Amino acid sequence: MTESLTTENVTVTFDGLTALSKVDLSVPKRSVTGLIGPNGAGKTTLVNVLTGFQAPTAGRVTMDGADLGAKPAHKIRHLGIARTFQSGRLFSDLSVVDNLEVTGVGLGLSRRKASAKAVEMLDWMGISSLAERTAGGLPYTDERRVAIGRALMLEPKYLLLDEPAAGMSAEEADDLSRLIARIVSEIGCGVLLIEHNIGMVLKTCDDIHVLDSGKIIEVGPPAVIKASEKVRHAYMGTQVETEGEVL
Amino acid sequence: MVARKSVLARTISTPIILTLILLAVAGLSLWVNNGIFTRTIVEVFIRVMVVVGLYTFIGNSGVVSFGHIGFMCMGAYATAWFTIPPAMKKYSLRGLPEIISHNQLSFSLSITLATLFAGIFAYLFGKILVRLSGITGSIATFAMLAMINTVYSNWETVTGATSSIVGIPRKTDLWTGFAGAELAVIVAYLYAISRSGLALRSARDEAIAAAASGVDIARERLKAFVVSGMILGAAGALYAHFLGVLTPDAFYLGLTFISLSMLVVGGMNSLSGAVVGVVVLSAIIELLRTLEKGIAIGNQTWALPHGTQEIAIGGVMIVILIFRPSGLTRNQELSWSGWPFSERSSRQKSSIKDGVSEGASA
Repeated sequence: MTESLTTENVTVTFDGLTALSKVDLSVPKRSVTGLIGPNGAGKTTLVNVLTGFQAPTAGRVTMDGADLGAKPAHKIRHLGIARTFQSGRLFSDLSVVDNLEVTGVGLGLSRRKASAKAVEMLDWMGISSLAERTAGGLPYTDERRVAIGRALMLEPKYLLLDEPAAGMSAEEADDLSRLIARIVSEIGCGVLLIEHNIGMVLKTCDDIHVLDSGKIIEVGPPAVIKASEKVRHAYMGTQVETEGEVL
Repeated sequence: MVARKSVLARTISTPIILTLILLAVAGLSLWVNNGIFTRTIVEVFIRVMVVVGLYTFIGNSGVVSFGHIGFMCMGAYATAWFTIPPAMKKYSLRGLPEIISHNQLSFSLSITLATLFAGIFAYLFGKILVRLSGITGSIATFAMLAMINTVYSNWETVTGATSSIVGIPRKTDLWTGFAGAELAVIVAYLYAISRSGLALRSARDEAIAAAASGVDIARERLKAFVVSGMILGAAGALYAHFLGVLTPDAFYLGLTFISLSMLVVGGMNSLSGAVVGVVVLSAIIELLRTLEKGIAIGNQTWALPHGTQEIAIGGVMIVILIFRPSGLTRNQELSWSGWPFSERSSRQKSSIKDGVSEGASA
């Protein structure tokens, strides 16, 4: 049995509007899977389905072969599926290290152990210097890194990153790519990367799914996606070349 | 990587300072040494229990509860049932079960049982209410208060309905009041630094991210609801032994709103705010009450018109909320030399190196 986080035939409709239609997606462990698509394609809805924030209208989600059923979000996290949010969503009144400690405590550790793990994680990410800062006042890039650290507490099996590079400079995006590579190699996570920064996705991912209007229109390694006529048409418009530096 | 001090070591100064404040209040009473003033101070201590109890749920969860005074009512009546002499309650409260109406419990045992009684009902109500957030949750707690008040105002044979029940031993003195307030502060502090307290505050800031961090928000809220319900129950019991007489309307809208006002004025999200709010507003109320009664200047008595106190309190609240919307404490805890000084200085040191990269990225 392959270890993966998988959706089978997942459909989500909101009041008759179809957000996702029969989506099959697989995030294998120890690899980076990309999910791209135009705004409104349903990417975030798909992440919500995978993390228990949105119940699918039809279809199912499985992790390593086991059906996740209709578990609430906090139970999904206990099973080892972690996520970040487009808008950061740090606990703005708490310090950075407390932000990470919350996950430890949420997953059942004592405050002392959770605190020690949080300190360890900040060290692993190279952001120990931020530990006692109040999360609310952090610059954008640091906020993203803290959010990833919070999600990585206690080494989840799968990590879903919702537009982590939005608003980052090219160098910062490169740093993030390297961090994702470390997450895969050192922690062994299966990572799902949702990004608008196509250059970064092509560089970072082993496999890419393209979502358009709620349907997966193409799946394959970066080279295939780069060459795909369908993707070019749906995602970037026919006139634009897909040479990476789209944004 | 530097080992972090334990949360207890980082925050212990707060309960110590709050204890000193309470001791100062008790000391003031001893110094003035006047029976009426001492009763005022005992009332302040009971208020501290009430507002600290409210903080335990409201401050940590961010859900404003209008219903907690109902638990105070439950605690007060429960201790009345247990401690009124059997000769009296056989006639006045005929509906009580025999085991209660034929016995009289000691003060401390009765307070304990009354606290548990309120806790059981907080659990039962909480099971339903904690799934609601924001204004929906608040209105639901208000409905709970109305339900409790209606039951206590009408169950003639058990609560005496709207007529007062009398004969509760008046045992709450200055030092029991102090002990109650001190215990409430300690319990609220321990809850706030517990795992549940941290998890609940994270959910208050960002519920969705808290759930994504594995926090079962409803469960943590229920814990806070029960702890705060018990503190309110204990406050009610001490209040019953302070007054000696009970009517259900003493535990309704008036008390609900003045207690919430004290919490908001002090700073809703901090334990220090709860204590400071009670002390400051009580002092203002007391001052105005004295002025309403009149002060003699020469051979003339000068007095404020009646009702000035209520109006002035309203005015003070508006002024405070305009200039300090997060309360007198700005939602921070009191600690030695301002908000965690040691942490701030170590943070400054360690961020020098980081300042360079930050500057570049900004």
